Amino acid sequence: MFFDVLLIGIMVGAIYTLVTIGYSMVYSILKLMNFAHGDVYIFGTFICYTLLSKYQLNPVLAILTAAVLGGILASFVEIVAYRRLRAGQHRMISMITALGAAYVIQNSNELKWGNQVMAFPSILSAKTFQVFGLAVPMTQIIILGIAVGLIILFTLFLKYHPYGKAILCVSEDIPTASLMGIPINRTITMVYFIGGMLGVVGGILYSTSYNAVSLAMGFRGTIIAFTAAVIGGIGSLGGALIGGMFLGICENFIGVYVSSSYRDPITFLLLIIILLVKPTGIMGAVEQTKV
Amino acid sequence: MEPTLENHGKQTGNPMTFKTVLNHPMFKKTAFLTAAAGCVLLPHIMTDTYYLGIINYMILYVILCMGLNLILGYAGLLSLGHAAFYGLGGYTTAILITRYGFGFLSCLILSGVIALVFGILLGLPTRKVRGDYFCLLTIAFGEIFRLVAQAWIGFTNGAMGIVGIPIPTILGWSIRTEVDFYYLGLILLGFTWLTLSLLVHSKFGRAFIAIREDELAASVMGINTAVYKIIVFGIGCFYAGLAGSYLAVYQTTVTPSNFRLEESCLMIIMVIVGGMGSLLAPIAGVIIMTLATEYFRGIAEYRMLIIGVIMVAVLLFRPQGIFGTSAFKG
Repeated sequence: MFFDVLLIGIMVGAIYTLVTIGYSMVYSILKLMNFAHGDVYIFGTFICYTLLSKYQLNPVLAILTAAVLGGILASFVEIVAYRRLRAGQHRMISMITALGAAYVIQNSNELKWGNQVMAFPSILSAKTFQVFGLAVPMTQIIILGIAVGLIILFTLFLKYHPYGKAILCVSEDIPTASLMGIPINRTITMVYFIGGMLGVVGGILYSTSYNAVSLAMGFRGTIIAFTAAVIGGIGSLGGALIGGMFLGICENFIGVYVSSSYRDPITFLLLIIILLVKPTGIMGAVEQTKV
Repeated sequence: MEPTLENHGKQTGNPMTFKTVLNHPMFKKTAFLTAAAGCVLLPHIMTDTYYLGIINYMILYVILCMGLNLILGYAGLLSLGHAAFYGLGGYTTAILITRYGFGFLSCLILSGVIALVFGILLGLPTRKVRGDYFCLLTIAFGEIFRLVAQAWIGFTNGAMGIVGIPIPTILGWSIRTEVDFYYLGLILLGFTWLTLSLLVHSKFGRAFIAIREDELAASVMGINTAVYKIIVFGIGCFYAGLAGSYLAVYQTTVTPSNFRLEESCLMIIMVIVGGMGSLLAPIAGVIIMTLATEYFRGIAEYRMLIIGVIMVAVLLFRPQGIFGTSAFKG
């Protein structure tokens, strides 16, 4: 029982990490809370759902299409709702337009797919195999594999690819990066694109492991990404991993051993406590106020 | 005309411009008296209970938004948990009236005080947790409130909410009809406006406007910024508690879904559309947003879409709102 819960926790944690990465990257560059993040990922998940159940598309192809469309939507939101406000306006303003954008996407999703919980087709094999006397479902291993693979891939991209290095530069200091000849707007749009894509993949993996997709998961995803990013320390990949894992594991243990209806309140309480004890997160650096 | 500080020492040839008329004390006084008389006489002119109902909800939101405006526009704190304080007020009144037989007036006061206490408690971390993290804190608080109200069936009756809240009575005046509720709302609104304008124009008010404009400079001037922020946050929440109490008796039910994050967002939008940092500007926001949602009721499924578009468009093209001062700078 304990190990089952732990395993599910790790799997959910890996998925949360995927959802958190895009969110955390955006925050570290622009100091902008992207409220539309969850709604973008649920949009991609719905697209994948339609492609799979209506057109019986090859799962890999469906996931790729959904991820690219999700990425395009995320960068579209950036161009329309955030870009104009980047210079000159207070950050608070773009946070509120982010909320507006979230509403628009959420409502459009609702118009297309409704607000019911729908059965998401399971695209992975339902086999189980034995490890040290424990029955481990194949699905969880594959999901964990995909999530960890993507996280590693993204880390390598940031470290070695010129575009990845550009992202790191921009997150360090926008004016200096601009002076070094890095196209700021294009880089930021790319961050949104990648973040949206990773989020969509996370959403699809989540939906396929629980065989369900619903509109309400979008907002919950935003909050989860917030919480995980803050717990781990916003803006760092390692932080996203720690936060995501911590949240996934905690949540499952609370759900099983304490109470399932108090799962979310306790998770939020945890967030409040962490904010009070260490406002910059477990991995976060101390931000200095300039005088 | 004498060269004064107002006209920057320039001699103006024609002092009777539109703006000077608008700012003239005589005009202000007349406009205020006309508006006040109009408010008092309104239910006798507009007898349709449907429209009066809409106006009652507008009054409710104006009270909420005036409180939120104090937090957002005057103290510069983005709170996305305002609905939780509204809910605290609503549940306090509902539980005290239905189970313990409290009178409405004492419930009203207690609702405000409980919201104030929780507001101060949630405001305490502003000393340490700032900016975006504080916003996150308020979201977490709002969600905890709603989820607990939904899960704690023994105390709050879960998702069904508390129903059958009796007709409130204040000093022998029993409030039954839409007109009665209109006057109750008007009294609460008058109280809110009066206390807030006294507050904003006092030494205290100038201090927290200074904090909003430049926190560092304010603290150098000897203003205890942390304490001021906590108190302002608490006071803003107090009005939300009053509004919640009004909602409970007006609707005769309270359910957790009355106090979702969407409500907090809607209040934020109303304050922003009207304009932050100006005492009466949220009224414009409330009227516009309420009328927009009423007008689009026929196509209710597009409602949030339209609200979202209004929100983005207003901020892109007029970030200070329709009547606001520039609350957030740089």
